[in-house]
Amino acid sequence: MTAKTRGDWSEWSAWIRERDDPRIARTKPEALDDLLVLDLSSKSFAGCHCSSALAEQGAEVLRIEPPGGDFIRTCTPYGILYEGEGLNYLTEGRNKHHITLNLADPEGRVLFKRLARKADVVIETYRPGTMDGWGIGYEDLKRDNPGIIFASITAFGAFGPRSRSRMGDYDNIAQAMSGFQYDTGERLPEGETYEECPWAVPTKSGPWIAWFMAGTFMAMGILAALHWRMQTGRGQALDVATSEAYARIDDFVSLWYEHTGRISERFGNLDIALWLYCFAPTKDGAVFLGGLRLEMWQAFADMVGKWDAWGAETWTSVAPFTREAEQLKWSEMVFAETRKYTSDELLTMSLEYSRHGRLAPITCVVAPILSPEECMKDPNWIDRGIFLPVSDIIYGDVLTAQAQYKMTETPPRTRWVCQPVGHANASVYGKHLGIGPPELASLKQRGIL
Amino acid sequence: MAEKTWRDYVQRKRTHPSPLKGVRVLEVCTMLLGPIGPALLAQLGAEVIRCEFPPMGDVTRSLNPFGWFYKDQSPLLLHINQNKYWVGLDLHTPQGQALFCELAARCDIVENNFRPGVMESWNIGYQRIRAINPGVIFLSKTGYGQWGRYAEENRPSNDGASQALSGYSWMSRFPGQTPLKMRAYIGDNYGGMCAEVAVLAALHYRDRTGRGQFIEFSQTENIMRAMSWVWPYQQITGRPAEPSGNRDVSVCPADTFRSSDGIFVALAASTPEEFRGLCAAMGQPDLAGDPRFRDHLQRLREENAVAILKIIADWIATRTAREIEELAEQYGFAATHLYTARDLVEDEHLAARDFRTEIDDPLLGRYRNYEFPVKMSETPPNTRWSVRPVGFDNEYVMKKFLGKNDDDIRMLYASGALGKWKDAQGRRPPPGWDGRAGLRTE
Repeated sequence: MTAKTRGDWSEWSAWIRERDDPRIARTKPEALDDLLVLDLSSKSFAGCHCSSALAEQGAEVLRIEPPGGDFIRTCTPYGILYEGEGLNYLTEGRNKHHITLNLADPEGRVLFKRLARKADVVIETYRPGTMDGWGIGYEDLKRDNPGIIFASITAFGAFGPRSRSRMGDYDNIAQAMSGFQYDTGERLPEGETYEECPWAVPTKSGPWIAWFMAGTFMAMGILAALHWRMQTGRGQALDVATSEAYARIDDFVSLWYEHTGRISERFGNLDIALWLYCFAPTKDGAVFLGGLRLEMWQAFADMVGKWDAWGAETWTSVAPFTREAEQLKWSEMVFAETRKYTSDELLTMSLEYSRHGRLAPITCVVAPILSPEECMKDPNWIDRGIFLPVSDIIYGDVLTAQAQYKMTETPPRTRWVCQPVGHANASVYGKHLGIGPPELASLKQRGIL
Repeated sequence: MAEKTWRDYVQRKRTHPSPLKGVRVLEVCTMLLGPIGPALLAQLGAEVIRCEFPPMGDVTRSLNPFGWFYKDQSPLLLHINQNKYWVGLDLHTPQGQALFCELAARCDIVENNFRPGVMESWNIGYQRIRAINPGVIFLSKTGYGQWGRYAEENRPSNDGASQALSGYSWMSRFPGQTPLKMRAYIGDNYGGMCAEVAVLAALHYRDRTGRGQFIEFSQTENIMRAMSWVWPYQQITGRPAEPSGNRDVSVCPADTFRSSDGIFVALAASTPEEFRGLCAAMGQPDLAGDPRFRDHLQRLREENAVAILKIIADWIATRTAREIEELAEQYGFAATHLYTARDLVEDEHLAARDFRTEIDDPLLGRYRNYEFPVKMSETPPNTRWSVRPVGFDNEYVMKKFLGKNDDDIRMLYASGALGKWKDAQGRRPPPGWDGRAGLRTE
C-alpha cells in the first residue's frame, strides 16, 4: 500500500472512531429495543449468553428464575462470590431484568402464559418435553401468540435418539463430544506414560466455548426468525444442541476420516492443515507465528536471516510444507531461530520487515502469547473499550469484557452488569401484568414467585 | 408435543422457505474469518455473491490436512463456503472496482476482512459504497479493528494471534505447561458468528427504520468476550487468572479422567441430584452428605474440588468407559468418552437429526458435512450446494444480478475486471468435469 493510501487511512480511522467509539454508545439508538424476550435458561450458560446477545442490542430481556435462583449462579471459579454473585453469572446478567417464577406451580404457569402472550421470544433450556409437560411448550404458547419465537437449547437437541438422555448440558461434556478435545493437546513424548506426563492428554478449551457457540448460533437463529416474522407474521420453534453447535465448526476432520480412514490426532502446537501456523518458543515465552501465504513464510525466513540458508527463493508453494514430516522438520528449525529472541523482539522485527523488508509490505504474523493479566493491562484494548468498567448501581465498577464489536448506528452496550435473584419482581410484574405490591407479597408468600 | 413440532423435520426441511430469503450479501473475504459468516447467512437463505481475485482466488484453496484434497478441492474451503455464487473479480483494475460498486448497489450487506485501508485503496470503502447504497450494512472484520494502536501499526492477523493475545490459549493448558493452540479455529469461527449477530441485529434495525450502518469487528477483542469470569476475577482479587487443564474450576465435578480400559472420559455432575446420583453410582452415597461436598459452592473450593476429583478419578480407573456412560445414564449425571472423527461420522443421533447432512452437489457429487446447527420449524436452514472454482458463476451473476448481456461480459473479461480459475489444484473443477455440470443457466 502506498504512503498516500495509508494517509487516507488515518483520516478514515479518525472518521470511523468518531462514530463508533464505545464511549458514545449510550447516545445512540438500539437495534432490538422493540423486542420482549423471556429467558428461562436453567443451568445453562448457553441460554444466558444467547439472551445477552439480544440484551446488548437493547432487547427487553426478562430473566426468569425459580424462587431460589438459577443453579448457574453457583458455577463460579473456586466458589468465589462477589457481592453475593458468582463471577461467571456476573458477566452474563447484563441488561436483564431479573424476576422469579415457580413454573412447577400451576399458578406460576398461568402467570408465565400471560407474559408469553406479549413476548416476541422465549429462550428455554429444560430437557425436551419439560415445557410441554407443563403446558407451556411451543405448541401451547403459539395458540395465543402465533408470532412467538420459541428457542430451545439443550445438550442433545429436541429430537433424536439421544434427546431422551438424562445427561445435563455441560460445556466440558459438549467439548468432549465435539471431537475437538480429542485432537487438541500436547503429544505424549516418546517412551513416556500418562502417569509421568499427566498433561500430555487431550485438552479442552479453558473458556466455556461450547456454551458460547450454542448461545451465539441460537441468537443468529432468533434474529433470522425475526426477519422472517417481519415479512410473514409467523413465529416458529428453534432447536440447538450444544455439542452440535461446537462440533459444527470443525473444518475437515469428518470428511478426512470418511474418505481416507485417517483419524485426526493431537499435533501439539502445530497445525494439521496450515503452514506457517504454530506457537513458537522464544527467549522469554512464546509467540504465535502465522503466514499462510508463501510470501509470508518466505518473509519469516528472511526476517531471521535464513533466506539463503533455507533456500527461500526456491520455494514455489506452501503446500509441501503442510505435510506431517515436513512440519516436524521445519518447526524444529524455526524454533531454533525463535529461541534466540524475546517475544517483543520478534514482534518488532515483523513490523519492521513490513516497512523495510525485501517483501514489504508483506510480513509474517507474530503475536506474543499473553496471559489474561497482561491482556487486561494492554493499553490497546483499554483504548478500544473492551475493558471499560461498567458502573453498576448494585455491584459498583465491574470490569467485564464488552463492546466486542462496534457499530455506527446501534452499538451494543452494557447498561448494567447483573441483578440479584428477583430484583426486578416489583417493577416487571407491575409493568407487564399490573400486579401491585399486595398481590406480589401474596404470590411470594405462597411460593409462586 | 416436541414430537409434533419436529415431526418429519428432516424429510421436509428442503421444501420450506428460508428465513433470509431475499437478503443479498456481497462478500470480498479471504481465509476463514471472512467467508465463514456469509456462508452462515447463505444457509439461512441469503443470496451470497463471493468475489475472489482471479485466477488463483483465495489462499484457502491451497489449505488441506497433510496434503489431502477432496476431488481436487480444499476440504477447508468446502466446509465453510456453502451456498455461494463465485465471481472472479480483479479489484486492482478500475473496471473491477466499478463492477463491485454495481453489485454493492444491489446488495443489503457488504462484508470484507481486509486490513483497514485496503478497501479504501480500491475505492470500495464504506464511504464510497454508502454513497451508492445509503441503506447498506457494511461489515469489516479484522484482527484489531479500524482504529487503535495495533490497527495503526497495520498488523496482520490470524486466528492463532487472537488466541495468543487474548489470553485464551494461556487459559487452555495444564498449569506449568506451555499455552496450547486450540485445534479449532476459535477466533475465526466464533468471530464469524458474532459478527453475523451484529449484522442481523443491524438488519432488524434496518427492517424497522430503513437505516444501514458500518460494523467493525476485531477478532482478538471478540474472543475476550467468551472468557467470562477471568476479567472480573482479576479486577476483584488482584490476582492473575490461572489455567486448570481439563478441570472446570467453576463446575464441580467437571473434568476428564482415564477409564480402566485406557479411554479418556469427560464427566460432570454438579447439581444436587446429579451429585447424589454419582455418589450412589460410585457406591459411596454418604459422600453426597459430606460437608466438604454437600453444597456446590463449598465443593468448588480448591481443597474440596481436588479431593472429590481424586475420589472420582480413582473410581473411574476401575471401570470401562462404556460402564461409566451406562451408569451415568442410569444414575442421572453426565459422562462421555471423548469423541473422535470416527465417533462423529458413525453417530446415529447426529445422523437422525441430519446434523451430518448429505449434500448432493452437481459438481462435486454426494458427500456429507455438518448442517447449520440451528433447526427452525418453519424455515429450516439448508446446505444446498458446495464450492465452485474461481469465477465459476461469473456469467450467471452478471446476467441475473446486473442484467448484463454477452457483449458487456466479453468487455469485462477483456478489461481484466472478470476472470476465471487457473488450472491448478484447488482452483479448477474436479477431475472429469464435462464443462457443463454445476453451471447455472436460468
